[in-house]
Amino acid sequence: MLEIDNLFLKFNTYDGAVKALDGVNLKIKKGEIFGLVGETGSGKSVTCYSVLKLLPRSAEIDGNIILNGEDITEASEERMREIRGGEVGIIFQDPLSALNPVMTVNEQIGEILVLHQNEVINDLASEKEIPVYKSERWKASPGVEFTIIAFCISFISLFVMLGQWTFALPFLFVIINMFFRDYLQRNNPASALDLMVIEALSRVKLPNPEQIANSYPHELSGGMQQRVMIAMALAGKAKMLIADEPTTALDVTIQAQILQLIKDIQKEENMSVLLITHDLGVVAETCERVAVMYKGKIVEEATVDEIFTNPKNEYTKGLLGAIPKGGKERLKVPNLKEVEA
Amino acid sequence: MLGVTLITFYLSYGMGDPLAAHVTERTTDEQYEMLAEKHGINEPIYIQYFTYLRGVITFDWGYSEVLNEDVSDALRYRFAATLELSILAFIVAVATAIPLGIFSSIRQNRWEDHSIRLFALAGSAIPIFWFALVLQYLFAVTIPAYIPDFNWEITGRSDPILWEVTDQIDTPTDFLLVDSIAAGSWIHFKDALKHMILPATVLAYSSMATIIRLMRGNMLDVLGQDYIRTAKSKGLSENQITYKHGAPNAMIPTVTLLGMGFAGLINGSVLTETIFTWPGLGAWAITAMRSLDISAILAYTLFSAFLYIIANLVVDILYAFLDPRVELSGHSSLAEIVIVALSILLLITTYFSADYAVILGILIVLSLALFSVYSIGIRLWNNPDDTWIIFLFTGTLFVIWSILSGFFMTIIFVSIFIYLFNLLLKLPVVSQRWVWEDIKNHFAPKFDEFKRTLYQIKKNPLTMLGLFLVLSLISVAFFAPWLAPPSETQRDPMRMEEHFAFNQPRNFQPPCYFSCTADSGEVDGYILGSTDRGYDIYYGIVWGSRTSLDVAVKVVFTGTFIAVVIGAVSGYYGGRVDDIVMRITDVFIAIPGLVLALAIIAVTEDTSIEMLMYALIIVGWPGFTRIIRAEALRIRKLPYIEAAKASGASDFRIIFKHVIPNCITSIIVIATMDMGGIVLSLAALGFLGFGGGPDLAEWGKLVSFGQDNILLGQWWSFFFPGLVIALWALGFYLLGDGIRDILDPKQRN
Repeated sequence: MLEIDNLFLKFNTYDGAVKALDGVNLKIKKGEIFGLVGETGSGKSVTCYSVLKLLPRSAEIDGNIILNGEDITEASEERMREIRGGEVGIIFQDPLSALNPVMTVNEQIGEILVLHQNEVINDLASEKEIPVYKSERWKASPGVEFTIIAFCISFISLFVMLGQWTFALPFLFVIINMFFRDYLQRNNPASALDLMVIEALSRVKLPNPEQIANSYPHELSGGMQQRVMIAMALAGKAKMLIADEPTTALDVTIQAQILQLIKDIQKEENMSVLLITHDLGVVAETCERVAVMYKGKIVEEATVDEIFTNPKNEYTKGLLGAIPKGGKERLKVPNLKEVEA
Repeated sequence: MLGVTLITFYLSYGMGDPLAAHVTERTTDEQYEMLAEKHGINEPIYIQYFTYLRGVITFDWGYSEVLNEDVSDALRYRFAATLELSILAFIVAVATAIPLGIFSSIRQNRWEDHSIRLFALAGSAIPIFWFALVLQYLFAVTIPAYIPDFNWEITGRSDPILWEVTDQIDTPTDFLLVDSIAAGSWIHFKDALKHMILPATVLAYSSMATIIRLMRGNMLDVLGQDYIRTAKSKGLSENQITYKHGAPNAMIPTVTLLGMGFAGLINGSVLTETIFTWPGLGAWAITAMRSLDISAILAYTLFSAFLYIIANLVVDILYAFLDPRVELSGHSSLAEIVIVALSILLLITTYFSADYAVILGILIVLSLALFSVYSIGIRLWNNPDDTWIIFLFTGTLFVIWSILSGFFMTIIFVSIFIYLFNLLLKLPVVSQRWVWEDIKNHFAPKFDEFKRTLYQIKKNPLTMLGLFLVLSLISVAFFAPWLAPPSETQRDPMRMEEHFAFNQPRNFQPPCYFSCTADSGEVDGYILGSTDRGYDIYYGIVWGSRTSLDVAVKVVFTGTFIAVVIGAVSGYYGGRVDDIVMRITDVFIAIPGLVLALAIIAVTEDTSIEMLMYALIIVGWPGFTRIIRAEALRIRKLPYIEAAKASGASDFRIIFKHVIPNCITSIIVIATMDMGGIVLSLAALGFLGFGGGPDLAEWGKLVSFGQDNILLGQWWSFFFPGLVIALWALGFYLLGDGIRDILDPKQRN
């Protein structure tokens, strides 16, 4: 599915080039959950950002990234846009900051559907004989909405000042329409896009998707936000999901739910998942194969059982030793000097 | 994020409220009285006293009614003229500035970005009055010289013959553009628009600059957020990300500052209207100030404050509309409710009886003052450690006094000496003697930082340009006696009138640049020409740089000093101290700066350069204080302050060792920027004829000498001094902007 071949990455800064990745090799098969573990700063996140080219301009990539047999290292920006969301979906660590605060969930998921699922939406609309989009597409932006209201009010007051009541009426109608929109549209059929958004939300097992679709990110709880993120990443029918520490910002019970959700969806859709984490417990619970990263290199790659029972690399051993266990046993902090030697 | 928005919301909404009540009450009251033609002079003076008491200004109460026209009618007609101009300018400014700001941010640090930034900074650096004069000259003299049929009105609002004699139309709204559309008359519309384009351009350019810079900064901020990365990972194109996800988020903080932009328009309209003889409020206020008509001045001041507060209120509502995270349910404290209730009570009493209102007002002020003294006293009583604050404020007053009364250089020398002495004590001593290696090692990190700074200055061409401008203008001021030697009999080199003894006055001498062979054979010609009274413009510019440098340095030092002490203390403590300080700054900020300075000068009837300085300090400090306070508020919530507290540091130590050093970036940036801004205000005051005596070498005044002779083709007498003002301001703005980028650790790499 995804093959990363000898990937080098450096950032050009004032103090010279900073090496972030130092020859990374990865191979993720179709329909497996692949874990990528390592300490902070070991280059896990950067690896997955370089797959989708979400890196800042100062980054310089060298190596090969092969997705479904296609080398996308030198792919054009248009091709990359098709891949992002369409073939590879990604979810981030902190769902609240990763969701746009001034757009509703409906708009944010609708956006990705319009980009990658346009035919499906059109088919659905013609099949059920409902509108493709809602009639007020401009509702999307509060700024635009405000501008319209402001212009209408100024025109109304202008015509009223001039004593020309008739000219003011259409503007008045627009304003009434905006303020009483919900009431006026109570009988309007939902659009095809809305149905698709609700379907995407119910796929991640969100209760009451109609209500959630119309709320803003800050009105949802952390777990719900992460579910919305997952729904968004999968809405474009991506065949691969990159999860960049999806549970770090959540508390333990929610963590378990989200991981279970990712596992379930992976099984249903037979997707590949690249799960990035620093939590070995998460890896043990979810992954089939796992790679350990240290200082921009993959130091060990094996199945989960092998890693936990028979670690080969010194660093992996240290990492496993650092897992707190019950009882009075002292924590073993990995001795990095020893590892490097 | 939510906390920050809540704080700003609380500040602008909750704190603005009691003030709004005060001012509404004053204005409506005044207008009501004027309308009813009662002579309730007591209230306006008394209520104006409220405003000005806080400004610590004493002025003479005995004044006479100079107005010849009904104030309310004059306000209405003139306000319509000003409003029409401002609205057009505002629309033009916003419609151009926001796309430019967005474009500039997505091309960060490329040539497009640099040129837009230069364009924006030039907009705030170019003095409005100079830009207006240049445009007037272009449209009235230069273009007609090449295109014979070109005929453009550069003054007034409309052609009186067309509008009142040959073709009369109704003007129900007093908005001439709207009226001509309503009447369906293309000729009238064309005429009104033709008159409006130039002043609107001038106004729009100056306010455009601020909006561009704000929008650019906010966009850069937003583009670094996580949700932009999410948007990119969805497969959206660069344009979709910028305009759908970036721009709406960046608009939120921009909109909150558009209220300030509107105040800027009122500020600018004073100058623009005067130059274009636009029959608006600003020109009216200037006329009133020149004839020292106090009631008109105060009415205008209050009116513009009122407008400003309304604009801010609208912005608050708008903010809540744009940002779904904010809800319009301002949580107000008990103190605020009490103050609002008292103001409403005062309003009601004023309506029935003026005498009782005066008594009630005095009671309220007294009780508020007592209450604040009491609360501070209680605080000090409970925490005896805090008494250092009193010493701090006394010390501040002493330093301010010494700066203003000429001990300035002494203070600087003493503090440099103390600093060096401390440094020597800190240096490691090896075997009882100074070792060069030790000293080098001690300074190594600082030297590294210095090298990095130099590198970044070199990398950014705009900062280099700013540094060059600043250094060259300061050296002009320093080498003035050599560059433009005063005449031998001259007692005071700053007086241009006395320069004649050396250079025989020749009026309207055109510039001869570098080939100045004298036509009379004995004296040199004027390198940059002369004014209508024969003042040498070159001499004026060179010595005027001393005036500017002197005023700018003193005002900025004093202002920053006050701001750092008051801002840091009030921001760090918060609570009631903060409430009081912020309410005081509110009062100052609500009144447009130039108008307030003019009112102070007009009311004290003192146009000496010292008075100008005081006026500029009074106008300037609330702005500084707010910024420093906001910084201190942000910093005091940071974990390392908690850590310092937990390790038992005293408040004094925390403020001076942790809070202020962490504000230092913004302090330096504000101070640098204001070195330019103060000179601009000084020049504006000088241009309006309040520039420290009739012949003091001062740039704004030189421009005003050239103002009347534009149609005669004497471009040099306004062009050169204005150019120097613009270069000065541009230099400091560029430098400040550059420093901000360099010192911000987040923008490295």
